[in-house]
Amino acid sequence: MQDYKDIIDEILIDEKTLQARVKELGEQISHDYAGEDLLLICILRGGVVFMVDLMRHITVPHALDCMALTSYGVGARSSTGNIRMSLDLQTNIENKNVLLVEDIVDSGYTLFHVLEMLQTRRPKSLKVCALLDKADRREISIPIHYRGFSIPNKFVFGYGLDLDEYYRNLPFVAVVDLNKYKPPTA
Amino acid sequence: MQDYTEFIDEVLVSAETIEKRVAELGAQISRDYAGQELLVVCLLRGGLTFTADLTRFLTIPHTLDCMSLSSYGVGHYASSGNVRVNLDLMTNIEDMNVLLVEDIVDSGRTLAHVLQMLKTREPKSLKVCVLLDKKYRREVPVEVDYVGFDVPDKYVFGYGIDIDEHFRHLRFIASADLTKYRKT
Repeated sequence: MQDYKDIIDEILIDEKTLQARVKELGEQISHDYAGEDLLLICILRGGVVFMVDLMRHITVPHALDCMALTSYGVGARSSTGNIRMSLDLQTNIENKNVLLVEDIVDSGYTLFHVLEMLQTRRPKSLKVCALLDKADRREISIPIHYRGFSIPNKFVFGYGLDLDEYYRNLPFVAVVDLNKYKPPTA
Repeated sequence: MQDYTEFIDEVLVSAETIEKRVAELGAQISRDYAGQELLVVCLLRGGLTFTADLTRFLTIPHTLDCMSLSSYGVGHYASSGNVRVNLDLMTNIEDMNVLLVEDIVDSGRTLAHVLQMLKTREPKSLKVCVLLDKKYRREVPVEVDYVGFDVPDKYVFGYGIDIDEHFRHLRFIASADLTKYRKT
């Protein structure tokens, strides 16, 4: 496993900027849901770090649930097809305010399918909070109500986002130099 | 939903103390696995906060996976009997160093079952890191390799641990006065 310093192209969003923005998002969410109860849905595994930091800044009463998704078809999360729920919600979301928390929105297909599926359960409201938005890659229109950062179409990692499962723990979001990165041989 | 200040008994572990201890655990784990790779397994949902913070202090190469478990037994606050796996690992752990990360160990039953089950997959090593250890409640022997804090047999919440799904976001760990707590 290479040290991240050997494969980094640039730091796209540094720790201080990330933490400040996460705090802002938490405050905005708390403001928007004032007087209401909220269910936060963490989409595993990429959303974990963002979710944990975000919820610390949410002052409205909120519960937490998790979903794990995989795509049918080749290449995880890259397909346009249907989504397989490996882990469904424990919570019945009928009449609940639901906020999906995602690390990154890319083509939008995964999120599109999740939203469609969750809407059938008749939540009171259903919104999306994404840390990173790669709008250039969007192939299907989806609403993002809370957006951390719009980023260019580059291969990013850190702060929950992995490179072949590694580097999720880095406190910043960085761009990988694909000329230097050698995927682990497993 | 009540505000936690209405039913808090006392702050058992402050935010600063947690942060310091999590950093220490991260450093210790990094030393113990120096030169090796590690798979960190987060037990949902209580372990999320601890896992996210702990991994920030790991300096060794590591990957992350999650498991979701529930008990077949009756009763929300006490677990007994066999464990049902709602979400299994994506990772094949054969020949891997595996570290289970849990928010709290109580009776030890859930953990004992998970460990037994994961051992059948022949990991290279299998260890346990818990933030809180309620030793007095132990009903089955289970070896815990890394412990954040020993806590008394009180009803605790905060830092990932919920009361009826709420209050996980608090940065400290507190005990609840259940005579003041109203379930909504």
